[in-house]
Amino acid sequence: MELLFNITIFPGMLYFLAWTVLLFWFFRKFMAALHKRVGPHFNGPAGSYQTLFDFTKLLTKESVTPSGVNPYLFSLMPILAALIAMLPSAFIPWTPSTTVVPTEYGVLALVVLIGIEPFLLFLSGFGSDNKYSFLGGIRILTQMISSETAFFLAALSPALLFGTLNLQTITESASWLSFVVLIPAFVLYFIALLALLEQPPFNIPDAEQEIVYGFYTEYSGTNYFLLKFAEFAEFMAVYAGATVLFLGGYKGLLVDGYLCFFLKMLLMAMVMMAIRAATPRVTMKQMIRLFWQYLVPLSLLNIAWIMLAKIYLLGGMA
Amino acid sequence: MQTIQALFQDFSTLYIQEYKPTWLKVKLQNATDIVEVAKALQSNGLTVISTVSPTDFVEDNRIEMNYFFEDILTKRNCWVKVDIPREIEQCVIDSITPIFKGALWHEREAYSMFGVRFTNHPDLRPIIVSQDFYGKTPYRRDFDWAAHEADTLGNIQAIYEDFEQEQAQNETLLDSNSSQMILNWGPTHPASGPIRLKVHCDGEDILGIDPDIGFVWRALEHLVTKKDFVGAIVAVERLCFMDNINSMVGYCQAVEEIANVEISEFAKWMRVLLGEVSRISSHMMGMGNFYNSLGLHTAFMWNVDVREYFLDFLESYSGARIATAAIEPGGVRYTLEEGMLETLQKAIEKFDATKEEIRAIFVKNPTMKSRATTKGILSAQAIEEYSLCGIVARASGVKTDIRLDEPYAAYDQVQMDYVTQQGGSAADRLKMLFDEIEQSVAIVRQAKAHIVANIANGNFNPTKDHMVKVPKKLPKGEAISRVEWARGEVLMHLVTDEKATNPYRLKMKAPSFNHTMILGELLKGESLSDIPLIFGSLYICQGDLDR
Repeated sequence: MELLFNITIFPGMLYFLAWTVLLFWFFRKFMAALHKRVGPHFNGPAGSYQTLFDFTKLLTKESVTPSGVNPYLFSLMPILAALIAMLPSAFIPWTPSTTVVPTEYGVLALVVLIGIEPFLLFLSGFGSDNKYSFLGGIRILTQMISSETAFFLAALSPALLFGTLNLQTITESASWLSFVVLIPAFVLYFIALLALLEQPPFNIPDAEQEIVYGFYTEYSGTNYFLLKFAEFAEFMAVYAGATVLFLGGYKGLLVDGYLCFFLKMLLMAMVMMAIRAATPRVTMKQMIRLFWQYLVPLSLLNIAWIMLAKIYLLGGMA
Repeated sequence: MQTIQALFQDFSTLYIQEYKPTWLKVKLQNATDIVEVAKALQSNGLTVISTVSPTDFVEDNRIEMNYFFEDILTKRNCWVKVDIPREIEQCVIDSITPIFKGALWHEREAYSMFGVRFTNHPDLRPIIVSQDFYGKTPYRRDFDWAAHEADTLGNIQAIYEDFEQEQAQNETLLDSNSSQMILNWGPTHPASGPIRLKVHCDGEDILGIDPDIGFVWRALEHLVTKKDFVGAIVAVERLCFMDNINSMVGYCQAVEEIANVEISEFAKWMRVLLGEVSRISSHMMGMGNFYNSLGLHTAFMWNVDVREYFLDFLESYSGARIATAAIEPGGVRYTLEEGMLETLQKAIEKFDATKEEIRAIFVKNPTMKSRATTKGILSAQAIEEYSLCGIVARASGVKTDIRLDEPYAAYDQVQMDYVTQQGGSAADRLKMLFDEIEQSVAIVRQAKAHIVANIANGNFNPTKDHMVKVPKKLPKGEAISRVEWARGEVLMHLVTDEKATNPYRLKMKAPSFNHTMILGELLKGESLSDIPLIFGSLYICQGDLDR
């Protein structure tokens, strides 16, 4: 019974749907403020129904499958992408008592599941049989290969510091001192996160001015909804990962609980939006240079720093 | 001027006239001389060809070719005319493209519209017109538009067949063992606007680009001949409605010259005032579009926020925010009333309040600079070679600005100087836009102060001085008029017939035509990511590209 609740409501389907609708609306409103405009306004309080209507519309629209593609691959990919994007949620300690799959290897599961996602998006572009989608797919692979090294090395540093892969333990052992020690890792994680989520300035794979909509180009209706849903679920997985690994998860200043967790994720979403509003897109070459030339060496240095800090600051804590 | 005049001693000419302070008007006797003339002019510093404009005289059975050679550095210009036979088979003249690269598309246009064939032209394919006009001559006076349009099915068939053929051709172009492909960037692309760039690329690398234009061809130059001299302004302003005032100023000056009418001092200052407001509104969109092409929409939104206040002024003056139709032969269309200048004052204040923010975030943006300072570089030499103008030329350090070179309206009394940048890169062109907005606001301030002062001391009567009467029927004649439009030089070549009630021929040379022509050169060897950046930085508008 509890498992059923976990799968369907929290932290499962319904939770993700609510998150997608709310975060989409929040992005629109927040972006509008940065753009000096109003944003969604007429439907519901402060336009909050707008996104709901948009998703309902997408679900009821015809899903066009282009001729000449493998229809199974074409329609399977969005479903897989959405499912895989939601899976990390099972390993996250949302509250002190809610971890659906408590395991000793939480960090590993998180990293692997987040790492699979770009492959699925590449396949969706590959399966579309469209020049723009294909270019988008190639770009997503290039970007993934470049950014994942830094991302993983940054994500593994808390595990190194605390000597465990258990997310629950990591959350519980987090302190102000460990937060400060992990700040470089967090910055690296955040930059790599932007690339992994295809967010500006790294929105190269779906650069609308260059290659229309990248791997999304041929998708419409329900399939498009699923891909967008997967994107937002992926946001959550990555934010939640950062919150647990670096920001102390559900721990708060005054009270612990899910609210603190949520606020931390929202804070990251806001920073991401602010970067989106102020930075033009970089090119593929610049992105590759940034990651291989600067971020990968830096994340290796960061590992060294973590080891030093572990020995000298945290007294070689097991 | 003397040296240019001396040049023509070697050629048989029908007449040589001084025309305006900076122009020499020459009619050649033999069409075969044109290449030699072009060579001689080029070696004397007239390195820019503004445009090639045929005029069709059905009754005299001749087509008159007009070449406008310009020297953008020392401001000596030469207008060369020559007659060629009108029959399609004999309607041939030597191409000057091997000498002036800037004539490449202008000659193609003359070929598509008038059926003039240019020998030795490197790439004489039709341009602008859709496939159903291939081999026809839509701008000739005797072209039967009604009959052409009646054959709808045939026209669609022609377009369709050409497309099929092109598709088939694409495949033979590509090396099947490589990752080469032909990518259509446009015409229904998020950043392209109605233009199609046929991008031949290998993965992300561009091997070549062939721009296909004409998706918003409205045949404006033909349309004006169906309207009277006042009605024609609505066609002229649709050159590109972002800066509609200055294109109307150019047209109206040509009409006034033929009618021999001098407009009032007040109207001249109003033309300056309105023109600069219009330029500001265009440049703000230009900056926004530049950033849109980099995937950042904030600049556009912030600029539009400021631009609204300037549009408020245009609205208070003319009742329309975009297509104002506010300039008319004889002056400006409306009287200036109290309160209008207050709206303008608000706009200036809004601009002052936001400009430092916009400069700090968008003009000095480090990410933009890291991308744009090395892309799309045009040297001062390339500017002349391809006959570029406007902000694109000034961003490469070329001092050209019609407002100063050949002052019109009240620009001879305005305090201003050339605004230039040295680098010639995409980033420099963006900076130019912002610098010119500042310059325009300064001019608006001057014009406003001048108008207010002269109204106060009774020199200007804002309710009466705005118009002088221009006769409905104009004498036979022709005139050219140049204005510094937001995107560059606009040259209007107006021809009228005896007792004319409508223009006989109006050639509008618009800057985007040349700027699109060099896209292929600039983008060769770059990557796909640079297409929107360079395209956006050239400040191209499809309206004046296709006309």
